[in-house]
Amino acid sequence: MKFRTALAALATACALAAPAAAQDLLRIRMNADIRSTDPGVNRDANTDGIAWHIVEGLVALRDDATVAQMLAERVDVSPDGLTYTFPLRAGVRFHNGQALTSADVAFAMQRYMRRETNWRCRADLDSAATRLTAVETPDDRTVVMRLEKPSALFLTILARPDCGQAGIWHRDSLNADGSWRAPIGTGPFRLGEWRRGQFVELTRFADYAALPGEPTGLAGNKTPLVERVRFTIIPDEAASRAALIAGNIDILPDARSRDLPDLRARPGFSVHSAPSMDLQTVLMQTRDPLLQDVRMRRAIALALDVPELVRAVSEGGSRPSRSPIPPGSAFNTPAMLEVPPRDLAQARRLAQEAGYRGQKLRIITTRRYEAFYEIAVVVQDMLKEAGIESELEVLEWATQLDRYSRGDYQMMAFGFSARLDPSLSFEMFTGPKATQPRKAWDNPAVQAMLDQTMAEGDPARRRSLFEAMQARLMEEVPIIALYSSTTHGVTPRHVQGYRSWAVDAPRAWGVRIVR
Amino acid sequence: MALYVLKRLLAAIPTLLLVAASVFFLMRLIPGDPALLVLGDAATPEAIADLRASMGLDRTLPVQFALWLSQLLGGDLGFSITSGEAVGPLILDRFGVTAAIVLAAVAIAVLLAVPAGMLAAWKQGSWGDIAAVSLATLLLSIPSFWLGLILLLVFGLKLGWVPVVGYVTFAENPWAALHYILLPIATLALVEIGVLIRMARASTIEVLRLDYIAHARAKGVPESRVLLRHAFPNAFAPTLTLVGLVLGNLLGGIAVIETVFTLPGLGRLLVDAIFARDYPVIQGVMLFIALVYVSVNLAVDLLYPVFDPRVAAE
Amino acid sequence: MMRLRLNLVIGGTLMGAVLALAVLALAWTPYDPTRTNLRRRLRPPSADYWLGTDEFGRDVASRLMAGAVTSLGVAAATVLVALAIGIAIGLASGFLRGWVDRVLGAVNDTLLAFPGILLALGLLAVIGPSRSGIVLALGLAYAPTVARVVRGSVLSIREREFVEASRALGNSEAYTLLRHVLPHTAAPVTVLATSLFGWVILSESALSFLGLGVPPPAATWGNMLASARPFMQEAPLLSIAPGALIAICLLGANLLGDALRDLLDPRDGA
Repeated sequence: MKFRTALAALATACALAAPAAAQDLLRIRMNADIRSTDPGVNRDANTDGIAWHIVEGLVALRDDATVAQMLAERVDVSPDGLTYTFPLRAGVRFHNGQALTSADVAFAMQRYMRRETNWRCRADLDSAATRLTAVETPDDRTVVMRLEKPSALFLTILARPDCGQAGIWHRDSLNADGSWRAPIGTGPFRLGEWRRGQFVELTRFADYAALPGEPTGLAGNKTPLVERVRFTIIPDEAASRAALIAGNIDILPDARSRDLPDLRARPGFSVHSAPSMDLQTVLMQTRDPLLQDVRMRRAIALALDVPELVRAVSEGGSRPSRSPIPPGSAFNTPAMLEVPPRDLAQARRLAQEAGYRGQKLRIITTRRYEAFYEIAVVVQDMLKEAGIESELEVLEWATQLDRYSRGDYQMMAFGFSARLDPSLSFEMFTGPKATQPRKAWDNPAVQAMLDQTMAEGDPARRRSLFEAMQARLMEEVPIIALYSSTTHGVTPRHVQGYRSWAVDAPRAWGVRIVR
Repeated sequence: MALYVLKRLLAAIPTLLLVAASVFFLMRLIPGDPALLVLGDAATPEAIADLRASMGLDRTLPVQFALWLSQLLGGDLGFSITSGEAVGPLILDRFGVTAAIVLAAVAIAVLLAVPAGMLAAWKQGSWGDIAAVSLATLLLSIPSFWLGLILLLVFGLKLGWVPVVGYVTFAENPWAALHYILLPIATLALVEIGVLIRMARASTIEVLRLDYIAHARAKGVPESRVLLRHAFPNAFAPTLTLVGLVLGNLLGGIAVIETVFTLPGLGRLLVDAIFARDYPVIQGVMLFIALVYVSVNLAVDLLYPVFDPRVAAE
Repeated sequence: MMRLRLNLVIGGTLMGAVLALAVLALAWTPYDPTRTNLRRRLRPPSADYWLGTDEFGRDVASRLMAGAVTSLGVAAATVLVALAIGIAIGLASGFLRGWVDRVLGAVNDTLLAFPGILLALGLLAVIGPSRSGIVLALGLAYAPTVARVVRGSVLSIREREFVEASRALGNSEAYTLLRHVLPHTAAPVTVLATSLFGWVILSESALSFLGLGVPPPAATWGNMLASARPFMQEAPLLSIAPGALIAICLLGANLLGDALRDLLDPRDGA
């Protein structure tokens, strides 16, 4: 077993034919400091992006957000869908040299599931749809997890980057009192130095047990090819671009779309674009006296020239999509990519029927995220062409988020962060307003369909359920989905093997420096 | 003397307490929830409640205030909600950046503007005076953040002499650090020169009108001696008071300059903390600014007799 | 005397020009200042668009004109609010003295311990950024300054013979205050109001620049500057024009303030 892994590692090393030079330093821009090194606990997107270099979970996401094995050799699900058996991969070692055992998995999972830990995803594994009831270790190499009832989401939750991939770390990652010290993981890089406000540096883990094959998402072959990786904190966009051009960073993982023409025109830089899995939308309050009439909401949707709007806001970088399931997902179907054409006459007629008499709609937006603001400005403009008056209410982000969570809005330009399971892509705006006022779509029939997708294990049946929900969404228009943004990574010529992917934060494995 | 300082510091305590209390309660009137901001759009009500509890926000406001106050008396400003950093060291760290810029700018402005203002007062009505006053009025009328942008545009983008954004501490690389703070210092100094020329000129004119100057002149004391021995030293003291005021105002306005030049200073820290509803940081920074303001005014009052022989004599 | 005339002429001309621009903007602008057109973003100046277009394809010249209305309107309203509050407090504490003066003085001193813009920042965070929010926040932030000036001049007036005389004639305190004391604060208050006008324009643009000012898409010079920052390289005019207008307006206010001071309060400065 160990021999096979070693062989696989050797094979990849030969295939790539460039052993890491001792002094290689890969510098990557990061727009803000990380919050902690505790995976999935005190976190944000940047924190997740550092954590996934250091720790790994039993399973991990591929590029298309499907789940692959990582520390588990494979996943065996019992026919009733209640028991998951994870045989552990042999030859996996922690950064301190200790071998990975099932006891380590159980120890980490127990800490995650304690309320005091504040794990981001504890509630997800203790919910009506998915309830983890036991983690057992029948032997050193096997972990068994039991659920209360079948769940299509369980493995995705374990693999989600924002859950820290339920990363397994050695118990010496904790202080004697049980508090977090520093991660000792199994990942391709180990934590080097974290200088607050300036950089986080990782060093290559020489004994990393890489999987064979190609890298995909956070799964597959994650062989580290550089000796050190430094995530340099540069908050300002313009400064980051300048740093890239001046050669002070090697990867700009998130170039602004408006900078792309210039960067493309420069010799020696390549742009790596990948659709992200977030969702930019316009939300409508279905309890609003005016907007509770579905004709009014349809009128608004028809008044928008979605392709033109998306082209303008994303500078041509993203494709319009009226589905919450992002085009990069394995569950997106051709039917979901259809964008109904603009129809001003029909929009006027429907608005008239709904009793619209020139009232001013209020669209909430913020300047924190330029896309929200630009969407609101363009929407206002397009509505005007259909005779629908509106005004913008530009709020501070904290206030907008507050209004969102209370459902206190008429219309709102809003963006949802990446949901990596299609059920969650619908769940993020579907639910009972009585208990969850932030939810835009409150329809018991749809809720039932959604619950069904969460329990359904068969991908084909799930896909058809999602198509049915998509059709309902287009009829009832509680939200107008617009597009998923595109991540543009830019690298100079000497950086090879870098790829952007569905999540904004970059991956440093498989990347090398060739001078 | 020491007793006087102590008395003054004690007298400032009610002001600081009032500041602390009003900042504490006002901030919590603002819509927005730090837990919600951390969790974002994916927050479940349960997760928000858990996080609020771990932030200590689940207790009643008076209890929170009492806890904060008792910590404060122990010299502990608490921890940032967003980054987890200790607020005290964070403030001192950021204040280093701000202080370097503000002090350098005020020093330069004082060295250039005070002599200019005094000379203008002496030659009141001359073309030189009119030029100085016009320059001062012009500088006073240019918004500092716009001036900063224009300087950036010219020296950063067009000429490429200085980096456009970023910051390096002096400890790391003094030469590079100088490059980063050159433009912010120049911007602040130019604006303050405008203010100080006018102040120095006005107070010198007041002094020049006093009887003893006329006396000295009548006695045949050489004009240079009248100015250097009698007029300028006396005009300097009131100007000094105003420098204290300027320093305080700069601390308030610095957020804008730090935004223009993307500097990790105190002002930016405050604005970012307001946006993130990072209550411990906001409270700490506001209290710190009030403390600096009080101290600067105290220092000015203490220095006053040094420069003003009349007060010293009393 | 020459300086006075020069100040008056130049200051008056600049303020007059900005005011004229604002009045004109009320009646007419070349284009709708909030009308976007994404097919003509960031155009350079041309015969059609005198100062080019911004990142949403809106006409910059029209937005500058509309910005004049907003900025001047906000400034005027703010000055009135600051004066109303400040004069009331100043009169009360200067005239009544005693514990009223002590309490108001303590509050005033606390407020003055904060730089105006910082105070406004805090208040705005509570009130929320909106046109009336700015007026209120800045008005409250500058009221203590007004109060201090008014209190000072009330203290110097209240002991004068005509005030005593009014009392001796049996006039009520309120009558004496309004009829005899208030008018004498007019000169210093007018001078202060002019400078205040300049400060408010500056503060409003600074707050807008920080994202806490008059919310977009309404044009103000401050938020135009803020949104121009990312395009400084491609479209420098977008940053230069609104700032230049703020500077012109401030220069006008400052020169007029100087002239008024020389006229009404000749003891000072001159």
